[in-house]
Amino acid sequence: MSLVFLAAIVLLTGAGLVLLPLSNPLRALVSLVSQGLASGLVLFAVGPVLVGGTPLWTEIPWTYPIGRIEAGVDALSAFFLAWSLPMTWLGTLYAVGYLRPQFASRNAGVQFALLNLTALAFVMIYTLQNATAFLLGWEVAAVAAWLLVIWEYRNQKVRFAGFNYLVSTHIGFFFLVAAFMVMHSQTHSMTFTSFASFFRTPGEMRSVTFLLLVTSFALKSAFFPFHTWLPRAHAAAPAHVSALMSGVIHKAGLFGLLRFTLLMGEPEPWMGWFLICFSSASAVVAVFYTVAQRDLKRLLGYSSTENVGIAGIGLGIGYLGLSWHVPLLVALGFAGGLLHILNHALFKCLLFYAAGSVYRSTHTVDLDRLGGLARQMPWTSALFLLGGLAISALPPLNGFVSEFVIYSGLLSDKVPAGIEQVFFVCVAALLAFVGGVSALAVTRCFGLTFLGSPRDARVQARGESAWSMRVAMSAHALGIVALGLVPGFGLRLVRAPSALFLSLQDSVDVGSVARISELIAPLAKGSWALIALLAVCVAIRRALGARGTTRSQVTWGCGYQDVTPRMQYSGTSFSASFVDLFPGILPQLRRDVPPDGTFPQNEAQLRTHSVDAVEQRVFEALDEGETLAARASSRISEEPRFSFGLGLLVLGVLVAAALLGDPL
Amino acid sequence: MTLLVFAAHGLGLLLLPSLFIGLLNRTKAVWAGRKGPPLFQSLFDALRLLRKHPIYSQVTTPIFQLGPLVLLASALVSSAFVPLFGGRALLPFTLDFVVLAYLWGLGRVALMLAALDTGSSFEGMGASREATYSALAEPVLFLALGALGLATGRRSLDEMLHVNLSTLDGLVIGIASFVVLFIVVQVEGGRMPIDDPTTHLELTMIHEVMVLDHSGPELAFIQYASALKLTLSAAALATLINPMRGSGNAWATAATNLVLILSVAILLGCVESLVARLKLRAIPQYLLAGFIAATVALLLAGWRVGAGA
Repeated sequence: MSLVFLAAIVLLTGAGLVLLPLSNPLRALVSLVSQGLASGLVLFAVGPVLVGGTPLWTEIPWTYPIGRIEAGVDALSAFFLAWSLPMTWLGTLYAVGYLRPQFASRNAGVQFALLNLTALAFVMIYTLQNATAFLLGWEVAAVAAWLLVIWEYRNQKVRFAGFNYLVSTHIGFFFLVAAFMVMHSQTHSMTFTSFASFFRTPGEMRSVTFLLLVTSFALKSAFFPFHTWLPRAHAAAPAHVSALMSGVIHKAGLFGLLRFTLLMGEPEPWMGWFLICFSSASAVVAVFYTVAQRDLKRLLGYSSTENVGIAGIGLGIGYLGLSWHVPLLVALGFAGGLLHILNHALFKCLLFYAAGSVYRSTHTVDLDRLGGLARQMPWTSALFLLGGLAISALPPLNGFVSEFVIYSGLLSDKVPAGIEQVFFVCVAALLAFVGGVSALAVTRCFGLTFLGSPRDARVQARGESAWSMRVAMSAHALGIVALGLVPGFGLRLVRAPSALFLSLQDSVDVGSVARISELIAPLAKGSWALIALLAVCVAIRRALGARGTTRSQVTWGCGYQDVTPRMQYSGTSFSASFVDLFPGILPQLRRDVPPDGTFPQNEAQLRTHSVDAVEQRVFEALDEGETLAARASSRISEEPRFSFGLGLLVLGVLVAAALLGDPL
Repeated sequence: MTLLVFAAHGLGLLLLPSLFIGLLNRTKAVWAGRKGPPLFQSLFDALRLLRKHPIYSQVTTPIFQLGPLVLLASALVSSAFVPLFGGRALLPFTLDFVVLAYLWGLGRVALMLAALDTGSSFEGMGASREATYSALAEPVLFLALGALGLATGRRSLDEMLHVNLSTLDGLVIGIASFVVLFIVVQVEGGRMPIDDPTTHLELTMIHEVMVLDHSGPELAFIQYASALKLTLSAAALATLINPMRGSGNAWATAATNLVLILSVAILLGCVESLVARLKLRAIPQYLLAGFIAATVALLLAGWRVGAGA
């Protein structure tokens, strides 16, 4: 445990050092060295726990508001720590290349210090077992993320997105504080261990606390309908910040949920159902938005909501498995959920990094203006394609492995017969739908950005990205391929944390985790068979082509001679056939100036803009509410308006007293 | 014995797709009062295409050439999970149908990317439609397969298709699943009434328009892979209604299954001759019919299993 504390001290020292008046490259070096050192220390300390060693535990006496800090690393903490810190290090490495053009004009010290603090926040959140200290870590992560987002603070839009995030994350914070207050009032203690004693007995207060916690963690992880801040923040932030927020920082929400599940023991069945429905809704609604977005980074932001939804479905299966006392479902659900969390961190960071390198090269991420980048940016395009295939859960990459484990839970024959099975099959069908739509979204954003020819002559690509960005991307790509082709490796990482949930049950059935290995063993064989067959096909194709030369021609324009790149399908037109089917979920703002008359003289225009339905509905409701209130108040004559308001207030108080007075 | 099974499977993969397409086209020719091409015409076409030198668009990247190969490889791997001869598949395992669905998804994405690689507006249009309709077909397929899984209590494709058709609810589940799978075959294979493979107007195409720029060996690979996928789907349909399965007589089962696969080809040919292509706007409604059938099958299967427990 002392190694973990040492890592925290190293991170803080690094953060302090980079704020000194140094040159920007030196600051980057200090940050990288300190984070590398800290990651090494943490990995060395938690590695044994992750592969099944004894958990670490220590208590430190502290001053007044906290009293005494309990810190511990069990397999769950170890799992999250093991990849969060190295990924933050890779993000910092990427940031060096990404911020390089601004090194001459800006002081990058704050960015690097904040990245160090983000890593520190991970150490705090994942190890501290005291509510007050936990909240402190939570707040450090939130504020650091906010300051990282507003790096381009001179832009008004960026400031707005930043505040939007800050407000949302603090609403979540209040829910968390409320939950802790409830638990404190019941246990008179702020330590997680004493929370457990309250949390283990079912009751009304536990249900309320559970809902408060879920709301808070859902806001942190951007579940639907608490996601509206996310696409904005991700579009405004620098690429490495978007990547770290989406892939790593927001996983703290899911960690919180898992941590309190461990404290809770056996959940009630409605909690599992609630979690599954909530997560399915997130996955389905968010995947709709990934189809409609024109902004590459907004699109990736929505896909985060989709993927936490998929992981949440896994956790929901685990919850129900605990309630039903079916160890196999517990193992499949939690292992699948945890694996998907890790996989999502891998491919989402990669995709954001690739989007960032597109931005650095072309200064835009607008799908309708890009095109044909594969020629100028072969590395970025190949890596983006890899991440894209992984995120739409296509074999043989890692996304498919975790979704397959979740499918195994949904379609397992251990699910109680009857309506439960039918419901699970429906969720599996939803998951298949999400996969299909996500394949559409990935085809669209990869195909339009990197393939074809450039759609806008004003957009000039300035070649491939800096080497540090490519190194960071390649490292993630390596993880994607490794976890995809060797599913057993990923399973090994989540085995110990999933076993923790199994041990919540009285009848410990450790064999259930081993059964997952049997289930996914054919997957590895299938992946290798696919690759082998592909290699054979390529060889055959090569042998066939060896006999002659191939010719090059322009693309066949179906007889039309005057084809221009503007005529290619754009992002909007590609998604139109899908978007038009679901006007309720994917509202479009449309502004058009039609041509007038038979021989129009004016310049006709059409603008469509896909907006977020949740935000749109909130505004509509506000607007309608305002009209309604205005109409109501205009009906009341001028004179008694004050007394009417007073009467309403008294009535409100009376009703509240009648409702709440009873328990008092 | 294993060697024999593998050899039969390989031979089936090589010849059946061509025969399937040939019979389908022959059916259409008979309906139209023509004589029609030889039954193995698509095989001859493929052999001719393999000898040709392709022309590539100047806009394309290696993805254009890799796409058809990925499609072919994924279709070949997926053939190991389908009971071509009505009995067991070549290499079945638990939840192999999930892998099959995602493998086909991979092939589809590869083909769509190859289409987008040309920068042609027509091919972009085809890819957009393909992506939309296949995404809509996916949940319908999973609902039906889930229903079959519940009804049989099995979780691998070849065993799931062995629904007991002798009871009334088994029969209803079987028929509903047959309808769903048939609709999915029409979407997946780009057949009427979803897509007209013989049309000459690019604006109305889905599948054919995506391969406008492909020529030579690549075109042969794409056509073979599409025919193979169609045959595999037909094999699943055939196994679902095969009366000989479970009788223990492998030869009779295989023979019946082959006949049934070819009957599916004739059925598809009849549908294509008698029905006009749907408006693109009406395709989601057609899929909705499949969705309803799948829901009926699922609810019935769930009810039966729940009552039995």
